[in-house]
Amino acid sequence: MKGRWIGSPGLATVFVVTLGLGGCGWASLPSGATSQAELMHRDWTVFTIAGLCVFAIVGGLIVGAPFVWRRRGEALPPQFRRNVPIEIITTVIPLIMIALLFVLTYRVESVVERLSPSPSTIVDVVGFRWSWRFQYSGTSVQVIGTPKQPPEMVIPLGRTTRINLESADVNHAFWVPGFLFKRDAIPGVHNSFDWHPDHLGVFVGRCAEFCGLEHAFMTFAVRVVPPDEFERWLRQHETRPTAYRQGPR
Amino acid sequence: MSGVSTRDLPVPALARTGLLSWIATTDHKRIGIMYMVTAFAFFFVAGIMAMLIRAQLAQPNQSIVTSHTYSQLFTLHGTAMIFFFVVPFAFGLANFLVPLQIGAPDMAFPRLNAFTYWIFLLGALTVMSGAATNGGAAASGWFAYVPLSGIKISSGLGQDFWILGILMASISSILTSINLITTVFIYRAPGMTMWRIPIFTWEMVATALLVLMAFPALTADLGMLLIDRRFGGHFFDPAAGGSAVLYQHLFWFFGHPEVYIMILPYFGVVTEIVSTFSRKPVFGYVGMVLAAFAIAGLSMGVWAHHMFTTGAVSDPFFSAVSFLIAVPTGIKFFNWIGTMWRGSISLTTPMLFAVGFLLNFLNGGITGVMVASPPIDFHAEDSYFLVSHFHYVIGGGSLFAIFAALFFWFPKIFGVKLNEYWGKVCFAFEFIGFNLTFFPMYFLGVMGMPRRVYTYPNLPGWGSLNALATLGAAIMAVGVIIFVVNVIVSAIRRAPVPDDPWGGFTLEWATTSPPPAHNFDRLPPIRSERPVFDLRQSDLGSQRKR
Repeated sequence: MKGRWIGSPGLATVFVVTLGLGGCGWASLPSGATSQAELMHRDWTVFTIAGLCVFAIVGGLIVGAPFVWRRRGEALPPQFRRNVPIEIITTVIPLIMIALLFVLTYRVESVVERLSPSPSTIVDVVGFRWSWRFQYSGTSVQVIGTPKQPPEMVIPLGRTTRINLESADVNHAFWVPGFLFKRDAIPGVHNSFDWHPDHLGVFVGRCAEFCGLEHAFMTFAVRVVPPDEFERWLRQHETRPTAYRQGPR
Repeated sequence: MSGVSTRDLPVPALARTGLLSWIATTDHKRIGIMYMVTAFAFFFVAGIMAMLIRAQLAQPNQSIVTSHTYSQLFTLHGTAMIFFFVVPFAFGLANFLVPLQIGAPDMAFPRLNAFTYWIFLLGALTVMSGAATNGGAAASGWFAYVPLSGIKISSGLGQDFWILGILMASISSILTSINLITTVFIYRAPGMTMWRIPIFTWEMVATALLVLMAFPALTADLGMLLIDRRFGGHFFDPAAGGSAVLYQHLFWFFGHPEVYIMILPYFGVVTEIVSTFSRKPVFGYVGMVLAAFAIAGLSMGVWAHHMFTTGAVSDPFFSAVSFLIAVPTGIKFFNWIGTMWRGSISLTTPMLFAVGFLLNFLNGGITGVMVASPPIDFHAEDSYFLVSHFHYVIGGGSLFAIFAALFFWFPKIFGVKLNEYWGKVCFAFEFIGFNLTFFPMYFLGVMGMPRRVYTYPNLPGWGSLNALATLGAAIMAVGVIIFVVNVIVSAIRRAPVPDDPWGGFTLEWATTSPPPAHNFDRLPPIRSERPVFDLRQSDLGSQRKR
């Protein structure tokens, strides 16, 4: 029959390729540079493995069935309609899986959302069309960016930084992919969260909520430095109270 | 049951033939065809927009279109695909099929039925005509978050046209749902008990109930937005004591059930096709129906999973209920596999698209469970990971089921069978093109590419992954062109086709192709959910006896 190759062989090929690439997809995930992100990364790993297993088993049955039980003649196949034990098993197994995944979710979420009673640094972040303002609480240090000159936030390694997030105009979202975390900046809403960075480096950040024409250029950077260097940086800019702009695109 | 036969009703002379006969029609089959043709026209429009989006994103730092044009493109692409293609196509198919499947002569309210089509068309044209206004069409995305969609930022008439058009489409959906539910509840033929109606009809009942619960929230939300914009309201203005988060709550209270409004009808399509081409009854019929209602019920309690990153809804309730939806969805998957199990399976074009649906929807469903977990969603939300996830559900799912439905029911609707070989080639292009477009987007998402950016910097891997996605989109477009040519050539050739070319099970295969205005000259006895199968078996039995 013409077009036979499109059937089972074609389906099986795409299925196997998808399964293989799923693992590569996980590998392209940033490893997570805060202690919170390490926990979230673990969730990503568990969910990805569980997802790939489900895809392999269920997808394998879907692709395999038309191949194994290909129509071979006029004889009618057995006309069964139900199998209660199997139906119960296929209900209970997913139920157990999601229960386990929920426990994992709940435990990590409660840690990620937890606010430290004594953060070492507090940065008030305001999103506006189309950049960000970082105000270091209790100091006069302020960093204001533009779409062409994205701002850079400097934070200390191994200490807790509190971010207080607000918006001056429309909804934005403050996303640092390297920290596997984002939070929305919504007018009239005050959001707070903590970062506990445990890797040095410069991490790019982006606005993730569509906010108009220059949304694509509403980027920023987060530079994690050793605590003493952070103190030096803060003192240095405290003495220059004028608005401070810096950072690569 | 049917009361007066439509054959006996006098038809005005003007309305018998030609264009006016279509404009004036209240025949559910013609209205169904009008819905499906219109929906497909919007699929082309939204598809061309998608091609422009992919062209702009093919390489880093391009500016094939301006940022403002790009915003209008993705806003109208999403709006048209959701409100003017996937949902109305389902209603069109239901309009055509539901009365046939339950052995009724028409829908319960034929004139209301015609009204819902015309107001849907008017709404869709209103949204699109926003492009002709001074400020251009709406450009705040298909969910039009305030304050971006407010009068201060989106001051143009395009946004108002969008609101008014969507309001019309939403009223159309609500009225159609009332019509469908009434039809199924009171217009069933003798013998057609509720536990014998085909799964597609069951899924439409669940869909229609969901529309009745969800769409009023959208109507209210957009009504409030319109009042805020043009009549000095402050519902969503935090400076005046309103709340921008309230808009999101109301929108997603509609928006998440909407996802199931877009997928439940197509679960029905795939169930019918898998059962027919496995030559077996649906495995776990009752479980299939209960799962549909479980999904519909649970989907009313998960709206805030679209808002995990707002910080306003840290309640684990929404995550738990979202996970729970995986259970009835899993039941459906196992029942589809159970239907194929030990069957006699022919991989015809409709069956190929149905199997493609199962694989793609499985993919989207698995990543759906991932993003239902806040610690994962905090990274995935509003990234290309999410773009890929919902396209696997709506594009790889619903769109593939739409193609399956077209190939399956085309002979019934038009009395013309589409070419099988070119149908399979179309499937190959769509399946490979689709996976090539959307699988790389999972990678882009986890690497940190946000959605709705009109361009992106030249970071390692971003250019090549986006180029792959654009290539995939082009392959999909070729598949669609092959489909259109197939329709045209098959229509010209008009090869003779029997009333039941596939060996169907449900009542629509008991009448002629296309069916007469009154649907049935006589109905076979209805003693199970597969009356046409039973009829065929008893005919075979009596032949053997002779």
